Amino acid sequence: MADVIVVPQAQPVQPALRFLRVIPGVLLLAAIGYAGKLLEQNVGAYAKAHHWTFPNIEYVLWAIVLGLAISNTIGVPEIFRSGVATYEFWLKAGIVLLGSRFLLGDILKLGIVSLLLVAIEIAGSLAFMTFLGRLFKLKPKLTTLLAVGSAVCGVSAIIATKGAIEADDEDSSFSIAAILALGALALFSFPVIGHYLHLSDKAYGLWAGLGVDNTAEATAAGALYSDAAGKLAVLVKSTRNAMIGFVVLAYAIYWASQGQAKTVGNKAAFLWQKFPKFVLGFLLISVLATYHFFNKDQVGALANLSRWAFLLTFAGVGLRTNFSDMRKQGFRPFAVGAIGEVVIAGFTLGLVYGAGKLFGW
Amino acid sequence: MSAEANAGKTGSRWKLSLDTWAVLLALVAALLIRAGVFKHVPW
Repeated sequence: MADVIVVPQAQPVQPALRFLRVIPGVLLLAAIGYAGKLLEQNVGAYAKAHHWTFPNIEYVLWAIVLGLAISNTIGVPEIFRSGVATYEFWLKAGIVLLGSRFLLGDILKLGIVSLLLVAIEIAGSLAFMTFLGRLFKLKPKLTTLLAVGSAVCGVSAIIATKGAIEADDEDSSFSIAAILALGALALFSFPVIGHYLHLSDKAYGLWAGLGVDNTAEATAAGALYSDAAGKLAVLVKSTRNAMIGFVVLAYAIYWASQGQAKTVGNKAAFLWQKFPKFVLGFLLISVLATYHFFNKDQVGALANLSRWAFLLTFAGVGLRTNFSDMRKQGFRPFAVGAIGEVVIAGFTLGLVYGAGKLFGW
Repeated sequence: MSAEANAGKTGSRWKLSLDTWAVLLALVAALLIRAGVFKHVPW
C-alpha cells in the first residue's frame, strides 16, 4: 500500500482572530503618530524657551522619521506587521472624511483642471516609462508595471495590473520596491524643492498630487508643505487614482491581444472592480457637507478625525520603508524608476507652471 | 460543482474590499458625529 501523504490544509483565519491580530500593529501606529504630535508641540516649545533656533518640524515628519528609525534599526517585529499593514486602510478612511472640507463647487472647478493635467501626466508618463524600459532592455511586463506605478498610483496600480496582465511575482516585487524607494525620496525632496522655488500652496499641492506616485506619500508630501497644499495634493492624487481602471483595462486588452493574458469579458464590471471606492466616499461626504448635512462644529470634528486617520498613515509610511530590503531588489529597475521619476517630476512641474499661467494663479 | 465550492463562490462574491471597508467606517463615523454621539473630536 502506498504511503498516504498528508498535505496540511491552510486553515481559514476567523474574522475575530484577524481583528485581534491587527490590534498590536494599530496600537504601534497610534503610539508613533501620537509621539510625533507630542514632539511637534514640545520640541518647538523647548527650543523657544531656551532661545534656540530650531525649525518647526510638523508631526507628519516626526511620525515618518520615528517609523523609519524603528524600521531601519530594530525592524518591525512579526506581532506588529499585520496591524502596520492597515496604514492604507486609515489613509482611505482619512481621505473619505477629508471630503467634508471640500465644497462640491471647489471639487468641480479644481477637479476639471486636475483631470486635464492628470490626463496629460498619465499619457506622458506611460510613454516615457515605456521608452525607458525598452532602452534599459527590461522585460516588457516589468516595464508595464513600472509605467503604471509611476503614471497612476504606485503600489495599488501595480497590484491591480499584475493580476490583469498575469505578470510574474518577481516583476511586481521589483516594481513595488522601486516605487516605494522613489516615493520615500520624493517625500523628502518635493517639499525642499517646493520651498526653494517659492511655490504657492496651490501650485505645490497640484505638483505633489501629480508627481508623487503612492497615495500615502503624496498625502504626506503635501501635508509636509502646508495644510492647504495637503488638501489639494489629496484631491489631485484621488483624480489620478480614479483613472486606474481605464489604464489597467487598456494594458489587459493589449497583453490579451498578444496572447499573454486572459481576455477581459465584461469591461464595465472590470472597471468597477478596479475603481477605487474611496473616491466615491470622498465625493459623497463632500456633497453632504456642501448641502449642510453637517453643521460647522461637525465639519470640524470630521476634519480632526481625518487628521487622526492620516497620523496612523504617516507612521505606517515610515514603518514599512526599509532601505536594506530596497537595496536587495537590484539596480536596473530602480534606475529606470529613478530616471523616470526625475523626468516626470520636471514634466509635472512644467504642467503646473503652465496651468498657473493659463488660469492666472 | 460541489456544494462547498458553490458556498465558497457565494462567500467571495460578498467579500468587501479594503477600500469599501474604509468607506463604510468613515461613513459610520460621519453619521455618529452627525447624530451627536461624538460632539467633539479633539486635535
